[in-house]
Amino acid sequence: MHEPIDHEVGAPASWLDERTGSRGIFEAIFLRKIPKVNWAFTLGSATLFVMVNQFVTGILLTVYYVPSVQDAYETVTYIDGSLPMGWLVRGLHHWGATAMVALVILHMLRVIFHGAYKYPREVTWVTGVLLLLLTFAFGFTGYLLPWDQKAYWATTVGTRILEVVPFVGDWLLRVARGGDELSAVTLSRFFGIHVWILPALMLLLVSIHLFLVIRIGISAPPKKED
Amino acid sequence: MADSISRRKFMARATLAIGGAIVAGWAVPAAAYILGPARSSDRQREWRPLGSPDKVEIGTPTLFKTRVERTTGWVTQEEEVSVYVFTEDGRDFQGLSNICTHLGCRVRWVDDQDVFFCPCHNAAFAKDGRVDSGPPPRPLDTFDIRLEEGQLQVNLEV
Repeated sequence: MHEPIDHEVGAPASWLDERTGSRGIFEAIFLRKIPKVNWAFTLGSATLFVMVNQFVTGILLTVYYVPSVQDAYETVTYIDGSLPMGWLVRGLHHWGATAMVALVILHMLRVIFHGAYKYPREVTWVTGVLLLLLTFAFGFTGYLLPWDQKAYWATTVGTRILEVVPFVGDWLLRVARGGDELSAVTLSRFFGIHVWILPALMLLLVSIHLFLVIRIGISAPPKKED
Repeated sequence: MADSISRRKFMARATLAIGGAIVAGWAVPAAAYILGPARSSDRQREWRPLGSPDKVEIGTPTLFKTRVERTTGWVTQEEEVSVYVFTEDGRDFQGLSNICTHLGCRVRWVDDQDVFFCPCHNAAFAKDGRVDSGPPPRPLDTFDIRLEEGQLQVNLEV
């Protein structure tokens, strides 16, 4: 059943394959069999692409961004106004964040409507839900980092939502803010969470998610009789 | 099925080309963004007031100080600039930096020896800034000085 696969491999590719099995890995990832699907099935890949964009542009932003109350807004202004292509790097990160939230939700809706979360893909689904929550956490923590009026008040209001939790609301609010009110501590914590903790978790979960997608294969769209 | 193979090849190449364009779309702005601050300085030169020329004794370099605001990146700081002003005739003024060209120590005018002396490595510069003795590789830097409405002004990078 295997078609001969022609991907123009030269001597270096053979050399590498002999030592690492790279050809098998390549084929497992990119040449796997998929059912007949439609464009809605590209939403996961689109999300992955935007995530890569967020990593690339986010790393670039940390080259100049300084998470302190004195410097945060100044450095963002510097990136936007004084650096060549700074507006583009920040713009890609800013709009990429919005696109990521939208894509991740559309991807989830596709999975729901096709019933693709069912056996044997429950673990893929659960990691996907965690990735959705991580995306929201990214959005919430990232929104504060420019430290302008909008960021400050949005986070003031956003963290206050925790206060309505019965019994532990006050404590949760203090945990989120790192104190009674928004401060240098909040900014520093949000930065650390946004650029270290969340990306680490996301890489881990995306790896599991993709491994399962490749291992189990994607589900075909349900037919009428299903 | 020669036809289907060439189609596969086409798709593979199109994917590579589009992927390459996307990677370039990140890499080129990233390079500009990271290398941006290394561009040559676009600082302006400006005339700044120093003080009255009456303070300058003919034949004796006199130290003047002024402050300039300099912006590096997103930080604006006030820096002190010191200038030795010197005249032979009370009309033409010359300015010299007080920073030793060897390792950046401050030099001071020693009146009885007629030299600028640098205490770090016993270097001496003549009144016009030339190296008299010691390790400095070049004369003291110069500033343009002018007399404008009875005030000394110095030409500085700001």
